[in-house]
Amino acid sequence: MESNVLSIRGMTCAACAQRIERTVRKLAGIGEANVNLASEKLFVKYDATALKLHTIKEAVSKIGYEVVDKTDCQSATIPIGGMTCAACAQRIERAIRKLDGIESVSVNLATEKATVTYKPSEVRLSAIREAIEKAGYKALEINSADAVDEDRARKQREIKTLWTKFIIAAVFSLPLLYIAMAPMIKVVRLPFPAALDPMQYSLVYALVELLLVLPVIGVGYRFYTVGFKALIQRSPNMDSLIAIGTTAAVLYSIYNTFQIASGNFLAVESLYFESAGVIITLILLGKSLEAVSKGRTSEAIKKLMGLAPKTAIVLQDGGEKEIPIEEVEIGDIIVVKPGAKIPVDGTVTDGHTAIDESMLTGESMPVDKKTGDAVYAASLNTTGVVQFRAEKIGSDTVLSQIIKLVEDAQGSKAPIAAMADKVSGVFVPVVCAIALLAGIAWFIGTGGDLRFALTIFISVLVIACPCALGLATPTAIMVGTGKGAENGILIKGGEALETAHKINTIVFDKTGTITEGKPAVTDVLTADGTDADRLLQLTASAENGSEHPLGQAIVAGARAKGVELLKADSFDSITGRGIEARIDGHSVLAGNRKLMTEREISLAALEEESDKLASDGKTPMYIAVDGDLAGIVAVADTMKPSSQAAIESLHQMGIEVAMITGDNKKTAASIAAQVGIDKVLAEVLPQDKSNEVKNLQTEGRKVAMVGDGINDAPALAVADIGIAIGSGTDVAMESADIVLMRSDLMDVPTAINLSKQTIRNIKQNLFWAFGYNVIGIPIAAGVLHLFGGPLLNPIFAAAAMSLSSVSVLTNALRLKRFKATTRKA
Amino acid sequence: MLAAATLAGCSSLDVVGKQSVTSFDTILKTIPDQVETDEMNGGFALAAPDGTVRFIWSQDYSKSPLHDVMLELEAKPFVDAGLDTGKLPDNYAAYEGMLMVGTKLGNDQLEYGGEPTALAAYEQIVKKYRQSINYHTSLDHYGVLLGDGNMFEWARDFGTNSATGEIQDKDIVFALNPDPLIAAGVDPEKVNGWAYTQVSTDDGDVWKFLKPFNVQ
Repeated sequence: MESNVLSIRGMTCAACAQRIERTVRKLAGIGEANVNLASEKLFVKYDATALKLHTIKEAVSKIGYEVVDKTDCQSATIPIGGMTCAACAQRIERAIRKLDGIESVSVNLATEKATVTYKPSEVRLSAIREAIEKAGYKALEINSADAVDEDRARKQREIKTLWTKFIIAAVFSLPLLYIAMAPMIKVVRLPFPAALDPMQYSLVYALVELLLVLPVIGVGYRFYTVGFKALIQRSPNMDSLIAIGTTAAVLYSIYNTFQIASGNFLAVESLYFESAGVIITLILLGKSLEAVSKGRTSEAIKKLMGLAPKTAIVLQDGGEKEIPIEEVEIGDIIVVKPGAKIPVDGTVTDGHTAIDESMLTGESMPVDKKTGDAVYAASLNTTGVVQFRAEKIGSDTVLSQIIKLVEDAQGSKAPIAAMADKVSGVFVPVVCAIALLAGIAWFIGTGGDLRFALTIFISVLVIACPCALGLATPTAIMVGTGKGAENGILIKGGEALETAHKINTIVFDKTGTITEGKPAVTDVLTADGTDADRLLQLTASAENGSEHPLGQAIVAGARAKGVELLKADSFDSITGRGIEARIDGHSVLAGNRKLMTEREISLAALEEESDKLASDGKTPMYIAVDGDLAGIVAVADTMKPSSQAAIESLHQMGIEVAMITGDNKKTAASIAAQVGIDKVLAEVLPQDKSNEVKNLQTEGRKVAMVGDGINDAPALAVADIGIAIGSGTDVAMESADIVLMRSDLMDVPTAINLSKQTIRNIKQNLFWAFGYNVIGIPIAAGVLHLFGGPLLNPIFAAAAMSLSSVSVLTNALRLKRFKATTRKA
Repeated sequence: MLAAATLAGCSSLDVVGKQSVTSFDTILKTIPDQVETDEMNGGFALAAPDGTVRFIWSQDYSKSPLHDVMLELEAKPFVDAGLDTGKLPDNYAAYEGMLMVGTKLGNDQLEYGGEPTALAAYEQIVKKYRQSINYHTSLDHYGVLLGDGNMFEWARDFGTNSATGEIQDKDIVFALNPDPLIAAGVDPEKVNGWAYTQVSTDDGDVWKFLKPFNVQ
């Protein structure tokens, strides 16, 4: 028997899962077929000789579900060196896509990583790496143990190399620019060596310019190696534009240098060495600034990666031993001292302390931890010494999962990027054509002025760089998702980020989402002048032995009020009714109306209050002492402190808020009224939650579902945006589009706000990136000059081009100033 | 800059200087009758077609009696316009109704492969005192700088002489800095035979006394 797991899309409820199971189980050769609705996966065991996997897939597809064949696929994120623009990313995507066995590929220019899903049976990772190398880029090492540090070091090296190149280029191109421009400036007589006077020593002047431009070309050699290679492979990129433009300038200048040498020294007026030199220098400056800015866009993930400590103190042979984190094994007992970080995930076995988990959840208050409580890697032990058992290590820790999730999100593309990608794909060839046409047109129009035509040709090539276009979306998504992670909001991809800003209806699950999900004492009502504290003391003492959640809530309530619990002389649990105990010489009966009726205890004294409590969604527990009704202790699930404020914030954003619950309509309405819910979906069975979401969607609403776990998974999946709150568990992470690490509902408006601001930022970036090219290309092509306006010098074109990328990155970095939505005082 | 200095010192790279020799040779060949040996000044002289002014260049700077390169012109038009020759600066000499204005380039004993010729003597200026040779961009003229803004210019290429302005568009031009003459009493508007006009140079427009001629 062979087993496999298939990812299924399109399931909305348990019935769908059953239908798939039934269909698959009918196939000959099948052993087992189980569908997990929450994880949307089909687990199959089958006889591979009698049944092929594709037959199973076909059967599922036939009944209307999509099989996402990821199971025999692997995913790899390959860091790539040498990309300079969106066209490079496109080129690498094309190169990889050409290989057999590639399911999907997404190259992110900003992170400089290719995320590839591939079938190892058909294509090896080495072949993918080879394809990247063949395309002219560097496939760097993947996920080594020191990947984080190496990646950081590599980026630092890259930035340093770029700056060094820029400085070298600047050292040569500044004098080059000076000697090219100073003789032309008549307003002020700039100091200029007579020996270089272009009109007296033309050849010397030309040769000096040539000598100065050569080192600049040397440091910018990558523009030529990559650019011409791409051109030869008929997929030109930004480097191709730079390479063509500057090569044309240099070759034309060399030709004119020969002209000078052969006696036509007036050709000195047709030298463009300084254009080539300054263009390369400015592009290198732009690339350097871009590299620094790009580094800053992924700061959030770097911060996360840098959180985990490198070593752990493990109890071995009765003593403490500090070992590298990689050597920690599951089951090891780890000692964490105050001020140290928790190295891996586990459960406290000894000691108690307060742990700051803000780096994972964004929650600033340290959380008390005692034996049995879970601790998470990278959180900070603040007060006591604790020992815990390692349970999740390496990539299984919550921190690693968060990092993976944020990395995946940052590697994903938002639908809004599709247009930019399409344009980038055809941009460079179109620009080459425009440059050529404009050059030819001006050559003819000016009666054969090659110098003028060349100026136009170079300017168009240089100004029209798709860098800004390619960076517009991914940088904003990276900063946006990174900022989300900093606030404990994990957004799983660009699509989720984009969809979230369109949400106009949010459905909250009630229990555990709007409410704490844990019952608590809300009211203590007494009859005949019984003291409330005494009543609570007797009740809690009686319930102390109970395992019922309501009983435990009363015990917790009494303890919270500092009430001393008394020892029970006897205790008896009456199933479905309540309990009976003997406390301090008194007979205490605590339970529901049925218990009291059976024991013939009159409830008349508190009948009215009891009804009111019930109508408020509370559970009244009647207490009789020595055969008489002594009072009522009411228990209810309490609201989270942030619920009302969060819903108010959502209202202010124009979003309708609904609550979905299995409670009866009266109770549900009562809770809804307390927090300001607009719409109540009551008496909904767990399996029907997704249908309610679908109903809202059919009304044309964009619906987000906020839930806290597995029972909400179908609804989370069906909703346009599923938001899992509080737990950070595997299931929640898997089924939701957005995971909120804290239980604070204020993170919901924060997530929506973050989405809105990120999308606004992307739109601004795209506007500037497109606008810059739409305006820049015609000016460079001499359209304004046609009507007596100015002509764009290639040097200014290069400066404008470099600035465009930097401005887009700077705009994306503004998102770092995003502030979480806060409760009003 | 080091490279520039090294390259500048390499005479084989002096395209403008070399071209100026070729161009000057063309002039000498175009008006051979107006070129003569000037024994008195120890060199050669190129006379204007009207004979009122001559450009003189020495064949041996160690023997030049006055200047190595100079203009010799009739003093009368300037005297008539108010010139007091006693007020002229040191680079001027007044002699038998003539004014001589120029500069000493050096004291070199120039050597020639054979008999010195007018062209060979000019080549010595290019070779040894290249800074005295000028290309006048706006007029497309070569010229010999005679010091203090005085010069002798000729069209780089008679065929493509592209100067703007009627009076400047000539093949050879004798140019004087008017300032010392005006300072010595000359009323520039009253100088006969010399045009008092603005000339476009690389440093902007400047006033000059000009005597331009076509020689073709």
